[in-house]
Amino acid sequence: MRVGQVPAARERSSMTELDPSPAEAEADRLIAAALADHVRMPAPRRLREQLARQHLSMRKSWRGWLAPFALGAGLAAAIVLLLVRPPASDAVIDEAVGDHLRIVSAQHPLDVETSDLHNVKPWFTGRLDFVPPVSFVGDDEFRLRGGELAWFLGHKAAAFVYQRRLHMISLFVFADAATRSREETTARGFHIITWEAGGFGMALVSDVAWDDLRLLEVRLRN
Amino acid sequence: MSPSRKPRTLAVVADRAEPDAPLAEQALEHADELYGLARHLCSTTSDAEDIVQETYARALGSVARLAPGANLRAWLFRILRNCFIDQARRKKVVLEISDDTVGERPATETWDAAALDQLRYLAAADLERALATLPHELRFIVLLDAQGFTEAEISEIVRCAAGTVKSRLFRARARLRAALQGGR
Repeated sequence: MRVGQVPAARERSSMTELDPSPAEAEADRLIAAALADHVRMPAPRRLREQLARQHLSMRKSWRGWLAPFALGAGLAAAIVLLLVRPPASDAVIDEAVGDHLRIVSAQHPLDVETSDLHNVKPWFTGRLDFVPPVSFVGDDEFRLRGGELAWFLGHKAAAFVYQRRLHMISLFVFADAATRSREETTARGFHIITWEAGGFGMALVSDVAWDDLRLLEVRLRN
Repeated sequence: MSPSRKPRTLAVVADRAEPDAPLAEQALEHADELYGLARHLCSTTSDAEDIVQETYARALGSVARLAPGANLRAWLFRILRNCFIDQARRKKVVLEISDDTVGERPATETWDAAALDQLRYLAAADLERALATLPHELRFIVLLDAQGFTEAEISEIVRCAAGTVKSRLFRARARLRAALQGGR
């Protein structure tokens, strides 16, 4: 039989049995949700660059003309940003992504691995000089995996780790007297949301979709 | 497939986010999706990269054949499937659809609350193993479903009747459930 061919008799008999039970349908739904996450896979940078070289050549020609101007404008913008924007912002993003990668790639378990927030928060007592303002205990959609000690801007910080389907999400809570407005950033493919809560800096970082990350942010803020 | 998903047909749907942007640019926006699917079909990353490259070469080389307002995304996936089949032929890999009947559902399949809870926190490796148990054509269809295509769109992509897509999806899901239940 060639690809795509199915015996006609079997196709007809199949059509009468295509209703899964409610439990099977729920299992299908959960598997489909996991698959939807799993099938997302960024193309390697090398491949993207090759494709762009091969198929965007026309655009490159005028880009080539504009390149020196774009470079100049970019440099000017970078200087303005450095002068105007607090340098801590970039540092927070770098630290958030770096620490998230350290947590998800670690071979050892989390410092405190439990889904019970009432065990995670007390674990930080004596290890931090502040109490992290986190009260979201986790739910079916965002399961709390545990906590870990992190370093942010040269100070100890709390990391809470949640799981959304196959994705890990890190929440970093760090002492930060500066009031910061809410920001959304993407760095190295990770989405990061930062905001301020009660005088503390909060940074949520993961490779989940933006909608999922924002949903967790709402639950953390409530 | 989620019942809430609106049925669309390839002929009337334009999924171009920026109608004025050059077609190549719009097509390249789907590179991640195409690569993600290719990576789950091919055994190596280089094979996956090859068929994505070939997909774009074919698609953008024959772009004049794409009807105005056509579903560019579905068209790219259709070409990707052809490239995959051609690559398998070149490598002399036999691609056959499952010869199982719908009655293959496991006799002991039971999904209680605990079993369903396990599915909420599936490990990627378990899911990958379950996918690997599917014949390529079923894997392709179930991955298209995961990419958000409707049954109508899938039937256009794989060029078969909507009823066939429905029964293949049913079989693919039953096999995945069996593989994941057996894995626990």
